Amino acid sequence: MSEYVIDINSLTKIYQTGKTDFKALNTVTLKIRKGDFVAIMGPSGSGKSTLMNIIGCLDRPTSGTVIIDGENISIVSDNELAEIRGRKIGFIFQKFNLIPTMTALKNIELPMVFLGGTKADRDQRAAELLGKVGLTNWATHRPSELSGGQQQRIAIARALSNNPSIILADEPTGNLDTKTGEQIMELLVALNNEGKTILLVTHAIALKRFANRVVNMLDGEVSEDI
Amino acid sequence: MMSLDTMKSYKIRTFLTLIGIIIGVASVIMVTTAGNSVSSFIAEQWNLFNPTGMVVGIGTSGTVPQLSIRSVVFTANDVENIQHLPSVKTVAPVGVVPLIKILKRDGFLKWESRSGETMYASTASLLEILNMELEEGTIFEEGKNEVVISKNVAEVFGKDKPLHVGDTIYLRRVDGKTLEAKVVGILKESSSFSMFNTLSTPGIICPAKPYYSSYFGSNAGTILKRVVAYTILLAEATDTKHVEDAQNQILNYLDGTRSDANQYKDQNSDFVVITQQYILDRVDKIMSVIRTYITAIALISLLIGGVGIANIMFATVTERTREIGTMMAIGAKRRDILQLFLYQSMIIGILGGLAGCILGVGGSWFVVDLLNKSIQNLGGAFSTGSMQLTYAPEWFIIASIVGILIGIAAGVLPARKAAKMDPVVALRYE
Repeated sequence: MSEYVIDINSLTKIYQTGKTDFKALNTVTLKIRKGDFVAIMGPSGSGKSTLMNIIGCLDRPTSGTVIIDGENISIVSDNELAEIRGRKIGFIFQKFNLIPTMTALKNIELPMVFLGGTKADRDQRAAELLGKVGLTNWATHRPSELSGGQQQRIAIARALSNNPSIILADEPTGNLDTKTGEQIMELLVALNNEGKTILLVTHAIALKRFANRVVNMLDGEVSEDI
Repeated sequence: MMSLDTMKSYKIRTFLTLIGIIIGVASVIMVTTAGNSVSSFIAEQWNLFNPTGMVVGIGTSGTVPQLSIRSVVFTANDVENIQHLPSVKTVAPVGVVPLIKILKRDGFLKWESRSGETMYASTASLLEILNMELEEGTIFEEGKNEVVISKNVAEVFGKDKPLHVGDTIYLRRVDGKTLEAKVVGILKESSSFSMFNTLSTPGIICPAKPYYSSYFGSNAGTILKRVVAYTILLAEATDTKHVEDAQNQILNYLDGTRSDANQYKDQNSDFVVITQQYILDRVDKIMSVIRTYITAIALISLLIGGVGIANIMFATVTERTREIGTMMAIGAKRRDILQLFLYQSMIIGILGGLAGCILGVGGSWFVVDLLNKSIQNLGGAFSTGSMQLTYAPEWFIIASIVGILIGIAAGVLPARKAAKMDPVVALRYE
């Protein structure tokens, strides 16, 4: 097992938009250790979202190798990719992306449903996580009945439900006020302290301070790695 | 579980989608139930009359035989011979005696007269074949001035002064001759209808002699030989299994050399035997054509219901694109997404099918009730019967299964669309 939880070597991603090719990522090499808190920054179109999608196993590289927690994602099938995504990655989105028709508890359970397992186990785990994000009393509420901060906490609990090694947070504070955003970031820091590897994709320079490593992207390349 | 969650949240939409299937399934059930009820009503009405009955006449044979009641060909000799055929239980001649007037003596030299009635010259067997019974009195005797009359004719001179057994009336034939007749029997009102009713139920039944006078004058040498002959015969087979045998035996006899009728009929016409069973089969055939046609329309409406499901499922899939992306991001496989939407359309199909069955049960009741009312309005022989609700259980199953299958089929394309989404694109969808 490699010492890196994310091991990217000369990753290139080319999008075909009509007749012209667009090189979103150009031979990016990036290695992230287990337990790192990495902020990936850069302007729009810098390739940070593409990088995030590939690390999140939502997309595949055009060339180069990407190894996520020991799995080479270039060579696996769609189903296996979905499985890796469910087991090893926890997503946190800017707009929370909770399923509006489900209660808080059911939202947290959802990733476990896709992996199988007994309902009793799922219920127990979901209740535990609800407690961890401090929303035990909100189990039966639907997302529309929750504040933005509460929704993002539910989303974090959901991201944790399959106990993934990597948390991918895409502008997690983008739709929150500063104070609530701070609280969410503190929650992420706490998770990092428990040993989770955290990748934070953001524009907000203010969030830099929570990370122990900052990767700046520009025009599809890593421009700075502090 | 997830499918149900979404359906609960989109109550109105789900309900509207259901309606298409509900109406489709219900109308299939209603149509088939109505068809079944009408069929068994007709069969039941038919059974009130002898299902072994048949009419013997001349006309054109073939796949759709036609009777023509124009010439008199059957003689008493023919009646006698047919009576002795092994599969024939009884046979009765029918000779029409056209009447101008029915008269009654009302005091000394005073007459009361009424317009003519249908009078059949026949034998006692006619009553048996037509399932008619005497309410009072007896049957007439051949050669005597005696008649049997119906309830209607009994009241022809007024309900307050009905004719009774033993009364004497006078019958004026079209040839101007007036004959005395003693009422010896009065018929019970019949509750059945049959093909013979369409020949109009006889008001008066009389013996051939002295009332009936259709005969041929055939020149045998110089002596004019007079032979009494009839237009049609009514016959009855020994039992329902021998209807066809009786029919064949009668035809064989008539076409043979022993038959008088064969000699008297004109060369261009054939002997025709039309059984009640044949008419019932014809009615059944027509019914089934109508039923098939309406069922097809109902099935089309079910199909349209399916298109409605597909339409709404497509809208739902598009609307929930970002949710689909999210589910994929948190580990949903394409199969999971496919299932999610297929279950949804399947549940709509099942719920629609069940609700359609329930509505179909109630609706059938309503339709049959409506049919009953219109039957009452038809009046006549029909008015005495009422249609029973007869469900067609196989169509409950067919309609529900087709409803469910259409539900699933309608979900396939939208579900595939959802499952094929690129998670990256789906997540970005606003």
